[in-house]
Amino acid sequence: MSMRITNLMRQESILSDLNDISTRMSLTQERLASGKQISRPSDDPYGTSRALSLHIDLESVQQYQRNVQQGTSWQEITDSALSKISDTVQRARELTIQGATDSAGPSARQAAAAEIDQLIESVKQGADASYGGRFVFAGTATQTRPYAVGGSDVYAGDSGAVAREIGPGVSVQVNVLGSALLGSGQAAADGKLLNVLRDISQHLKSGTAVDMNALRGTDLQRLDTNIAALVQVRATVGATTNRLSTAMSRLAEVEQSTTKLLSDVEDADMAKTMTDFSMQQSVYQSALRAGANIIQSSLLDFLR
Amino acid sequence: MPISTFLGLETTLRGLLSEQQALNTTSHNIANANTEGYSRQDAVFSATDAYRIEAGVPPASTAHIGTGVQITDFRRIRDNFLDLQYRAQAMQSGYQGTRSTELGQAEMGLGEPGPTGISAQLSKFWNGWNDLSNDPSSGAARQALVDQGSNLAAAISTLDSQLALVKAQTAAQYAAITGPQGDVVQIATEIASLNGAIARSQQNGDKPNDLLDRRDLLLDRLSKLGQVSVTNLASGSIQVTLGDAPPPPVVDDQTVNWPQTLTSPGGQLGALLDISKTGGTIDSYRADLNATAKTLADTVNAIHATGVPAGVNFFTYTAGSEAATLKVAVSAAGVVTSTTGAPDANDIALQIARLRGGAADKSYSALVTRIGGEVRNAKTSETNATVLLSAIEAHRQSAAGVSMDEEMSKLMRFQRGYQASGRAMSTFDEMLDQLINRTGKVGL
Repeated sequence: MSMRITNLMRQESILSDLNDISTRMSLTQERLASGKQISRPSDDPYGTSRALSLHIDLESVQQYQRNVQQGTSWQEITDSALSKISDTVQRARELTIQGATDSAGPSARQAAAAEIDQLIESVKQGADASYGGRFVFAGTATQTRPYAVGGSDVYAGDSGAVAREIGPGVSVQVNVLGSALLGSGQAAADGKLLNVLRDISQHLKSGTAVDMNALRGTDLQRLDTNIAALVQVRATVGATTNRLSTAMSRLAEVEQSTTKLLSDVEDADMAKTMTDFSMQQSVYQSALRAGANIIQSSLLDFLR
Repeated sequence: MPISTFLGLETTLRGLLSEQQALNTTSHNIANANTEGYSRQDAVFSATDAYRIEAGVPPASTAHIGTGVQITDFRRIRDNFLDLQYRAQAMQSGYQGTRSTELGQAEMGLGEPGPTGISAQLSKFWNGWNDLSNDPSSGAARQALVDQGSNLAAAISTLDSQLALVKAQTAAQYAAITGPQGDVVQIATEIASLNGAIARSQQNGDKPNDLLDRRDLLLDRLSKLGQVSVTNLASGSIQVTLGDAPPPPVVDDQTVNWPQTLTSPGGQLGALLDISKTGGTIDSYRADLNATAKTLADTVNAIHATGVPAGVNFFTYTAGSEAATLKVAVSAAGVVTSTTGAPDANDIALQIARLRGGAADKSYSALVTRIGGEVRNAKTSETNATVLLSAIEAHRQSAAGVSMDEEMSKLMRFQRGYQASGRAMSTFDEMLDQLINRTGKVGL
């Protein structure tokens, strides 16, 4: 049996078709206006969960980048302080060699000793380098000045490691302990820089044959050991800086690819959305026109 | 048997009257073309009983002479099977439509994906820990972290209260529909009174077509609210059961039995009940959110408490209502960053920052996906139910609806019939004129 088509049916089907097209158009319009493919979770539940986890990834990458920048600055401060200390120690070595030669008189040795005393203070000052109000050589006790300039040679910091997280579960130690290089002075007799420099200064001042032998022999040897240690620490700092800068460029790449993935999931394809929109618009218009023509005509028009 | 001279007049009169009644029915149809729930009516013509006359020479054979036409019935054209299908689909559409609207509100409360959602707050919270790990001795970083923790806790408890609000609103809607002035009792009362009127008419042998239309329309409306089953009684009355309510029926002939307790009525009421009942959809969302809040607080606290000073919790909550009661328990100065207590030691802060993307984020993301999925399902099912509903409605309309073209052609048909009957009557008039006025006047 063929279906009877009544006026109400016709009108309702035209209305529901128009409604359907308008709904789709308003969805497309929302996409165009927001530029987003997903504006609420029900638009694409799986896509939403992917977008959420990509957002987490992106946020963490950006955080790691901030961490790396922070760590790099810390390394730069450390390196420049170490370079200053190195220069100072080189000068101390020259003075030691000059003072150790028998030709140097007592007054020259006294002058060298006085300069070395000053160099010691300068080394301690270098070790008091700070970054953002925090002493970089004091372990984790960054609020405490590690060496008192003009005071005791005893290291006042602790042996804690300061680490920066540069990736998921990857952290890098960015601090160098003052105590490992400079030690705690003569009282500690640890053979570290301050201890050796104090010994040299003392030997220069007294100038006895034994002391002069010590200056030429063990003192110079111990100073060289410390200089080697200093060079090694600077190399480590340089390597860490390299590692941080590699991490930085890797993080930038990850950020870029995550942003792209996120955009693929979340953002509307503008060209496609625009095409959809104009197609829907023309469908809507033809539906309107057809509807107007269909509703208008009836048998009534042809009866007298 | 001789035939009355006036038989022809009577026959044409019956023709005129019948055509007139058919015209009346047609204009009734046209007048109700846009009336909701109206079924078109059709005047059923049938020939009246014939007279038996003797014809021919005896032994006589008899013949029948027609006496015209009468309207025996005004048929109400309607397919009851389609009504059943329509009501089943209307129930589906009512259920899914309400579900998608109400859960859509819960979904709006999430604000995902976006910069204001809990997911973004979680990210900022973990950033706060990372920033603190970079600068543990900084008062500013500590304050920022505590603020961000409070924002996160507030976002979680706001979502919880929004979910609670949706639950309260749906419960209120259910109460309004089933309440003393609600739709259910109004529809039921009207059906009961129509039952009375219909039974009385049928007792008198009438066919109360328009009352039946009205009652069917009320049943359609009731079926959007819940599952309706109808039992026809001999008197023309009906019994109506709503959902899974135990006997007696909601409408029993002319009696209304309401309120009743429903547990799973289907339709709009079913959706409202499923969403708002204890252990319903919203309750399970809130349970998931509580689990997220608990996971967040417990995982952060577990690490935070191992630092120096030991045993300090970062978050506090009341068990059972974790999301609503989640709060930051420490001051900015009280935030623990390390196991040594040294100013720049950051092992605890680093460990907590590593919770990013962990159990709490996953648990929340699962909740978002779940709500999104359920709203999407409800929307899709609603669309399907609506499409089916309009297809069934089209079938129903195809049988019961008024077509103007058809009524116009009928109008013409009955008008012509009426005109022809009138012409026949004139013919009889002329015949009688011949008989009465001109017969026997030869030579006058």
